[in-house]
Amino acid sequence: MSTAIAIEPPARESSPSGLSVGNHPSAGVRTCETTGLPVCLTAQQFIRLNAVIAVVALLAGGVAALLVGLTRWPTVHLLDPVWYYRLVTFHGLNMLIFWILFMEIGILYFAATTLLNTRLFSKSLAWTSFAMMLSGAVLVDVTILLGKADVMMTSYVPLKAHSNFYLGIILVAVGTLIGVGNFFGTLYIAKRDKTYIGSVPLVVFGATAAAIIAVVTLLHGAIVMIPTWLWSLDVIKHVDAGWYRLIWWGLGHQSQQVNVCAMVSVWYMLGTITTGAKPINQAVCRGAFVLYILFINLASAHHLLVDPGVGASWKIWNTSYAMYLAVLASMIHGFTVPASVEVAMRKKGHNRGLFGWLAAAPWKNPGFSAFFLSLLIFGFIGGITGVTLGTQQINILAHNTLRIPGHFHSTVVGGTSLAFMGLAYYVVPLIFKREFYARGLARIQPYIFAVGIVIMSLGMSFAGSYGVPRRHWDVQFAGAQFAAGFGSGAHVMLGIMGVGVVLAFVGLITFVLLVVAAVFFGKKIENRPMTAW
Amino acid sequence: MSIHVPEETWFKPPSGAERTWIGLALAWCLVLSIMMPYWHFKGKQNSTGDSYSVTPTAFGARVEQFVKTNKVGETNGIPIVEPSPGGDAYLQAQMWRWYPVLKLKEGQTYRLHVSSMDLQHGFSLLPMNMNFQVLPGYDHVLTITPTIKGEYSIVCNEFCGIGHHLMTGKIVVE
Amino acid sequence: MAQEKKPVEVFQKEHEHDEDDHHTPGTVVLTLALLVSFAVYYFANWKALADVWHVR
Repeated sequence: MSTAIAIEPPARESSPSGLSVGNHPSAGVRTCETTGLPVCLTAQQFIRLNAVIAVVALLAGGVAALLVGLTRWPTVHLLDPVWYYRLVTFHGLNMLIFWILFMEIGILYFAATTLLNTRLFSKSLAWTSFAMMLSGAVLVDVTILLGKADVMMTSYVPLKAHSNFYLGIILVAVGTLIGVGNFFGTLYIAKRDKTYIGSVPLVVFGATAAAIIAVVTLLHGAIVMIPTWLWSLDVIKHVDAGWYRLIWWGLGHQSQQVNVCAMVSVWYMLGTITTGAKPINQAVCRGAFVLYILFINLASAHHLLVDPGVGASWKIWNTSYAMYLAVLASMIHGFTVPASVEVAMRKKGHNRGLFGWLAAAPWKNPGFSAFFLSLLIFGFIGGITGVTLGTQQINILAHNTLRIPGHFHSTVVGGTSLAFMGLAYYVVPLIFKREFYARGLARIQPYIFAVGIVIMSLGMSFAGSYGVPRRHWDVQFAGAQFAAGFGSGAHVMLGIMGVGVVLAFVGLITFVLLVVAAVFFGKKIENRPMTAW
Repeated sequence: MSIHVPEETWFKPPSGAERTWIGLALAWCLVLSIMMPYWHFKGKQNSTGDSYSVTPTAFGARVEQFVKTNKVGETNGIPIVEPSPGGDAYLQAQMWRWYPVLKLKEGQTYRLHVSSMDLQHGFSLLPMNMNFQVLPGYDHVLTITPTIKGEYSIVCNEFCGIGHHLMTGKIVVE
Repeated sequence: MAQEKKPVEVFQKEHEHDEDDHHTPGTVVLTLALLVSFAVYYFANWKALADVWHVR
């Protein structure tokens, strides 16, 4: 792209100082030299803090991912069983909870303040939230690494971890809830102070949908984790295994829907920033977000499809998300997002054939490539496998096999994490105000990561279709009472998975190094726009 | 733009290709919805969640009774048990074994009671690849009809501690 | 500094001009490809399910 950034700096009635008006306290805001958008300095501080911790968690979880992946590759079989199970637990929590939640709090603060031209509601709430989340995350990680919580991320009772493990999760959950509250407070003061006119921007709307689902999710977390924590302290004698699963998945699956909402919002944002995309019909996009809020909570039942204690009609009704209306929402976004890019590219004259617009898209811009690859992986692999495996009866073939992680690594990693990586290619120059080094490497990083994740997910999925279990140290069952095992087909698939793991790790570590180098040692960006991708 | 306040008239019905796609997607969602009740009535593979409350001790006693009545042999120190066709069979999951070994007849239907003595376990029948959750406190009744002869292994696919990967069992279908 | 509570233009309503064509044939093909792959994968799984032991 020849311009610094595809969206035109808005024509503005600026005050003499050049600062945007709004409800910002004096010296509490700056104008972005690249986009012309106002940046609340308090929000900026917390976006930075949350993003840094997110990347630390990504690195920790990524190293664990490599070790775990190399253990499941039968020819390598790296770790001993103790460390394998320990690091599976560690990997799940750092990736699925810490990396993503810290990023999401940053995204919420950004969307509410910058896009609505308002200050952050409360600095002390932001500190409280951050401190609780950070101390909770550290407590969880330390407890796991000390060997006191080899219980997997799901910590299904009556498997018992040290009480600090549950306490840490409660701290993270409550801290996140406070951050979400700060987001709602910010929406409130923006509305009250009339910092914008009309409806909120689509990205803010999507972020709000994510925040609403997050509240419901975190309340489930409180309902299940507080008794379990008390049980680990021997205050409560018994926690029912079926009850725990029912409520825990109200946390576990719904938090993934928070991710979906946040990811789709990031798609819309990156589409706009990188190509000038504008949704054809915002009522459709917003309606789809509303469908998420209304129906996605039923999806937690997907984890209980072959459980005792819940009947067929309960399973079928919930599985269908009430007529698959949340799936409909994703299919709608799956149209509106690429369509908005297509319209924008065609308007710029890239009109040749069916896909001339796509070929001409800014594929060298890591913000765009990460966004569009995320869209494709989420839709074509994650979405299709998810709905199929989540079909009540088909789940008999898939429950607890590697097909399940095969599915969710293509939603939450190939989808959400990759989209967040794309976002980082703008967060670093625009919020941290630092230039990236090795920009050529940055341009190919999304491809390395995406290809690795796709290979890994497919390897997992196909291995799982032979019945290879997830979370399992030795699929050759050496030393077991009765021989069991898998044929060469499954082993080939596990090998393919292993290759994908290594490639994805290369992509991940490249990302982390690029971001760390830029944030701490990058050339400062002062009084000028960022260098265009 | 997605990051700007939209025009005042943003609320309008979908049109053109977008509208067609929403219609198509909705139709597909209806197909997805109908498939499950259809299979529930017409299909042969369903997880109905048929289950009863049971304490591990009581379940263990039923398993012992079942083994004593129907034992036909022993392998690797584990009894081989042949339940009567159409009757009840019991399978006990515990860290880290499936007990006992079952001998079933092809084409016959059994009420297979599965429960756990300790943690959560995962019943995974290989190489058939059928998977069910096993919980302590729940007598999970699977009304199964083996359709193919052979020797099958049962592995555990719910993490149940350090010996998880050693937890195997056996079902023989004749 | 900036005491007047006058929002900058970016936060006012977007000036909309184009009701012009939203011609998106590429996206239509892309989404139809999704729908076809979805249906193939979905029904292949039902087929696989029909081959295992009967259970209720």
